[in-house]
Amino acid sequence: MSVDLTTKYGHITISNEVISTVAGGAAVECYGIVGMASKNQLRDGLAEMLRRENFSRGVVVRQEDEQLHIDMYIIVSYGTKISEVAHNVQSQVKYTLNKTVGLSVSSVNIFIQGVRVINE
Amino acid sequence: MTLRKLEGTTLAEMILQGAHHLKSNSQMIDALNVFPVPDGDTGTNMNLSMSSGAEEVKNVSANHAGLVSQAFAKGLLMGARGNSGVILSQLFRGFSKALEEKETITTKDFAEALQGGVKTAYKAVMKPVEGTILTVARETGEASVTLAEKEEEFLPFIQGVVDAARESLKGTPELLPVLKEVGVVDSGGQGLLTIYEGFLANLKGEEMPEHSTMNSMGEMVNAEHHKLAQDFMDTDDIKYGYCTEFMVKFEEEKLAETPYKEEAFREVLSEHGDSLLVVSDEELIKVHIHTEHPGNALNLGQQYGSLVNMKIENMREQHTSIVGDKKQTKPREKAGYGIVTVAMGDGMKKLFESLGANVVIQGGQTMNPSTKDISDAIVEAHANNVLILPNNKNITMAAEQAAELAEVNAAVVPSKTIPQGISALLGFNPEADLIANQEEMSSLMAQVKSGQITYAVRDTQIDGLSIEKGHFMGISEGKISSAQKDKLATAKDLLKEMIDEEEDEIVTIISGEEANEQEVEALEAYLEEHYEDMEVEIHRGDQPIYSFVFSVE
Repeated sequence: MSVDLTTKYGHITISNEVISTVAGGAAVECYGIVGMASKNQLRDGLAEMLRRENFSRGVVVRQEDEQLHIDMYIIVSYGTKISEVAHNVQSQVKYTLNKTVGLSVSSVNIFIQGVRVINE
Repeated sequence: MTLRKLEGTTLAEMILQGAHHLKSNSQMIDALNVFPVPDGDTGTNMNLSMSSGAEEVKNVSANHAGLVSQAFAKGLLMGARGNSGVILSQLFRGFSKALEEKETITTKDFAEALQGGVKTAYKAVMKPVEGTILTVARETGEASVTLAEKEEEFLPFIQGVVDAARESLKGTPELLPVLKEVGVVDSGGQGLLTIYEGFLANLKGEEMPEHSTMNSMGEMVNAEHHKLAQDFMDTDDIKYGYCTEFMVKFEEEKLAETPYKEEAFREVLSEHGDSLLVVSDEELIKVHIHTEHPGNALNLGQQYGSLVNMKIENMREQHTSIVGDKKQTKPREKAGYGIVTVAMGDGMKKLFESLGANVVIQGGQTMNPSTKDISDAIVEAHANNVLILPNNKNITMAAEQAAELAEVNAAVVPSKTIPQGISALLGFNPEADLIANQEEMSSLMAQVKSGQITYAVRDTQIDGLSIEKGHFMGISEGKISSAQKDKLATAKDLLKEMIDEEEDEIVTIISGEEANEQEVEALEAYLEEHYEDMEVEIHRGDQPIYSFVFSVE
């Protein structure tokens, strides 16, 4: 699956891989996120943290009709306001995709897969 | 007055004043907000978070610094709003953790607590972005440790903390490119500095002026323009056309008549436009507004004093020169060649334009443009030589009449179908004369085979086929070659009829309004399976009536 844009010089095809990497990159720059989690916890072990090259496993890009939906599986830091962190991720992912890829996202769904507790 | 031990009540008062000072400056901080998302809410979010923290602090009755800071951290966490709010809550969560056991605080404790806040805050982020509130917190924390080593008194210590934060904030544009580009400091960092400034003012026993940083007006204006530039793609979208900036120097007599209240003034001005910034101190008001009637805004300002340093810019003019709006450019020179064609559907229009057509008249089967429509299009093409491609045999006559009537040289390339029109356009040579082009394009046009899929509007008998209403018809070169209930089956039959594997190389599918992607994909798959040597090109034409237009060459 991919997203197609048509310009006066020709077509641009952006693969879902690209969208998920951009979305993942925007998300980890967001405050309060300590990692991306695999969407498939049972198969990949408990909320295994994903490295950059594996972002796509924690980001699912879906196209329904003409609309783009993104599901993100993230791990947040203990002691943050989780709903707020999730909301920040949503707005930043939407903004970044719009700015860098020119895509308008219909929904960014956040799944909190884990909380990382750090010794204080 | 010397203060070496900070008590719980003093800390609480410092926090309350920090919150108050942040609140008075939140609009200014909003205006600076260009990162991470330029939505202008950093100040509002920080203020809401901080207010929630301050509320909790108010409820603490014990004179115990540890308890005060704990309550503060709890309130911040509950009220955290936005990225900056969450960071703020983390900074003070670490801060309070370090002070948990302390009834009173020394400067060393305070410095350690600031450092603790930084540590906690950095732990909660995978990839810290420098040049933000995090940087300001970290650099200030580091500086405070050195400060605390030689300074046991709180007043000079906190003064040092504020100076360090201000210095660090100044450096943020060097660390974060977007800030440098816009010419502002980080809004979250500004917020943190504002809180520290509130701490200091409380220790000094001072009332804070509402705006500590008049000189950041320029930054705020830059940030407003930056945000605005992202909003408008089209000059027509600008609702308020004049960027108006002015200062009002207060005059006693006028103030006696109309007392100045910043909130009220801002309120009134906000009805006259947007991107509003109002900053004032005892002597001056600075105003920046985008408005349609700059005079009104100036009049409002003049109630309080005399106007100084006015600047009014027409943003539409500026925007036009930036985007190069065609509509407002001077009469352009006539082009050598213009091409007028007829097609239906947005995709089709774009397709023809991409091939070099200057004017695409919406029309075709069931909606033939008149001679006048074509004549108008010839004028619109604005060229010395105009080629007309009617793409439909019913329009050829009108096109020829229009060509005769035209004041410029005009010739018709009698294309009967869309594929013919497309092929003909590919043969256009801007160097050749009109007649040569007409001949060359007409001959190219004959080399392409055209087919269309459409539906029957009534039962009929034609070309030896009996067709039922609602069935699909495959038309090859104007002759109905197949008619079936199933659209795809009809399309496949038509393609079979059209393609000669020995001679043909390219099949182009132009999908219409009534064709969906699955159908296009199915056809593509069918072609790839049965005619593997053929190249398949797919375009979206969005034409009505014809689900598919095929061309084979």
